[in-house]
Amino acid sequence: MVTKSNVGMDVDLGGIAMRNPVNTASGTFGNGRQFEGFYDVGSTLGAITCKGVAAEPWKGNPVPRIAELGGSAILNSVGLQNPGVKEFVRQYGTYLQGLRDKGCAVICQVAGHSVEEYVRAMDLFEELAPFASGFEINISCPNIAAGGAAMGATPQSAAGVMRAVRGHTKRPVVVKMAPRDVAEIGRALESEGADALALINTIPGMSIDVRTRRSKVCRPTAGVSGPAIHAIAVRMVWECAQAVGIPICGIGGISTVDDAAEMILAGATAVSVGTANLYDPTVAARIVRGLEQWASEQGVSHVRELIGAFEC
Amino acid sequence: MTSEHPFEVLTNAHVTKDIWCMTCHTPVAAQIEPGQFVNIAVPGDASHILRIPLSFSAADAQRQTLELVYAVVGEGTSRLSAMRPGEVSTMVGPCGRGWWLPKKSGRALLVAGGVGLPPVVACARMLARSGVGFDAIVGSQTSDRHVEFLLDELRNMPPEQGCDCARKVVVTTDDGTRGIHGFPTDAMAGLMADHPYVQVYTCGPLGLMGGVARIARKRNVACQTSLERMMGCGFGACSCCNVELVSGEYALCCKDGPVFDAEEVAW
Repeated sequence: MVTKSNVGMDVDLGGIAMRNPVNTASGTFGNGRQFEGFYDVGSTLGAITCKGVAAEPWKGNPVPRIAELGGSAILNSVGLQNPGVKEFVRQYGTYLQGLRDKGCAVICQVAGHSVEEYVRAMDLFEELAPFASGFEINISCPNIAAGGAAMGATPQSAAGVMRAVRGHTKRPVVVKMAPRDVAEIGRALESEGADALALINTIPGMSIDVRTRRSKVCRPTAGVSGPAIHAIAVRMVWECAQAVGIPICGIGGISTVDDAAEMILAGATAVSVGTANLYDPTVAARIVRGLEQWASEQGVSHVRELIGAFEC
Repeated sequence: MTSEHPFEVLTNAHVTKDIWCMTCHTPVAAQIEPGQFVNIAVPGDASHILRIPLSFSAADAQRQTLELVYAVVGEGTSRLSAMRPGEVSTMVGPCGRGWWLPKKSGRALLVAGGVGLPPVVACARMLARSGVGFDAIVGSQTSDRHVEFLLDELRNMPPEQGCDCARKVVVTTDDGTRGIHGFPTDAMAGLMADHPYVQVYTCGPLGLMGGVARIARKRNVACQTSLERMMGCGFGACSCCNVELVSGEYALCCKDGPVFDAEEVAW
C-alpha cells in the first residue's frame, strides 16, 4: 500500500480536467464498463477514452483481427467496429455519466471515412453526449480502407479535418495522431485549434505466416502495439512536445509506472495505457498509484513540474 | 463478473500425445459456469504478452479447483505445460457465456472433436446435475489421442432419473484405429435416427462444428456450439475475436460466446 503523499496529481489536457494523468487508449478499454470487475474505474482513473464511434454503425474487419508477434508486440486490425453514435449513447450513456459523476473524465473518440463523416459524427455527439468531457478525433487508424490514417498522413489533410470539426463543438478536441511527422503535423493541428494531441496510434506493420503465406491478420498491413513500440512512442512525444504549445497525451507501449513516467518527462501532460490493458487488466490502476509515488520520490509538489523535465 | 484471480498449480501432467491436464487451486472455480473460460497469464516469457484462453472440464466450487485439459499447440501452451505444482500466476475469469440447459425437456446429444472435449464434459456434468439425459460422440484423429479419463467421466456420470435407456458414448477416429472410422458427424445419423434429441451440444474443430450444426438443423434439433478465436483480452474490451452472425453483424466470441446458438452463426 502506497502511503498518501501530498503531491498534486491533477492535470489539464487542453481543457479536459483530469484528477491524475492516467487515461486509457481507445480500443483497448472497451468503454470502461468491461473493467469494473477489476477495479472501480470512475474513482481511479484520470480519464478514459472510449472506442472510436462514427455517425453510422461500422461492421469492422473480418477474422482474424489479432496476432501475437512475440517480441512484446501484437498486431491488430479491428477496423473500428462500432454501433454508431446513437446506439453507443444508448448502451453506454448512463454508465459514462456515472464515471463523470465519480470524477473521471470521459473522452469520446470520433471516427470517419471522410471530413463530412467526422463532422456528422461530431454533430451527433454534440447533441447526444452531454457526458463527454471532450472529444478525440481519430485521424490515425491504420486498419480502414478510407479515412483514418489517410486523413492524418499529411499536415494539410490533418489540418483539414481539424478545421472542419472545430466549429462543431465548444468542448475540448484532442487529435489522435499517426506515428509520422509528428512535429509538423502537430503544429498544423495546433494552428487549426486542436486543444491537445494524443500520440502515437499503432505503427503500421506486417506479419506473414510462412506456411500458409498469408497475413496473420485479415489485411496485409495492420497496427503494431505493445511494449515493443514504447521507445519509438517516447521519441515521438518528445519531438512533438518541442514543436507545439498544446498539451500531449503520450501513448505507446505503456505497461509499467516507469513507462508512464518516461512519457511525462518526454513532455506528455497525460498518458494513455493501451495494449497492456488487454493482458494485465489492473495495470492502469497500478500506474495511477505508482505515478504518485514516483512524483513524490522526485521531490516535486505537483506532477506538472515533471512534464517535459527530461534532461538531455 | 469477470475479474483477475490468482491460481496455484496442483498437478500438471502429460496425458497422451500432445495433450496435458492441469489442475489448479483458484477462487474463480467457485463462480465459473460450464462452457465459460479463463484467460491465463503463463509465466516464463514476458515477450509473449497475451494470455492463453482455455475452457475447463471440471470446476469444484468447494475445493476451489479447476481442471484444464489442453493441447500443446504453440509457444504459449508449451510454457503452460512447463508449469510445475506450486507455481502461481493469475487468470482472468469467468469469461463469456457458457452452455445453457435445453429449452425443451428431453435427451441431449453431445458431439466433441479433439480438444473440444473438455468443455463438452463440463456440459455433460451440468446436464447430469439437472437430470437431463444425454448420449455422446467423441472423435479424435487417432486412437491414442483420446483422453481416456474424460471418456470414463462421460460414461460414469449419474444417469438421469426415471429413464432406463443406457447412455451411449460413441468413439470415432479419423484413421479408423478405434471405434467408428470417420468423423463424429458420421456417427450422428445413426444415433439421431434412434433418439428424439431436443438439443445438440458441440465443440471441436470449426469444420466439424459446422457439420454438426447442419445435421442438427436438418433434423430440426436446437444446437449450441462453443467457438474458438484468437483473443486479445477475453472480456469484451478489444473487439478482436469477432464471430460473423447470420444477421450480418459481428458478435464477440469472448463476451457473446464462446457458446452460441448454432442457428445464429454464419458458418
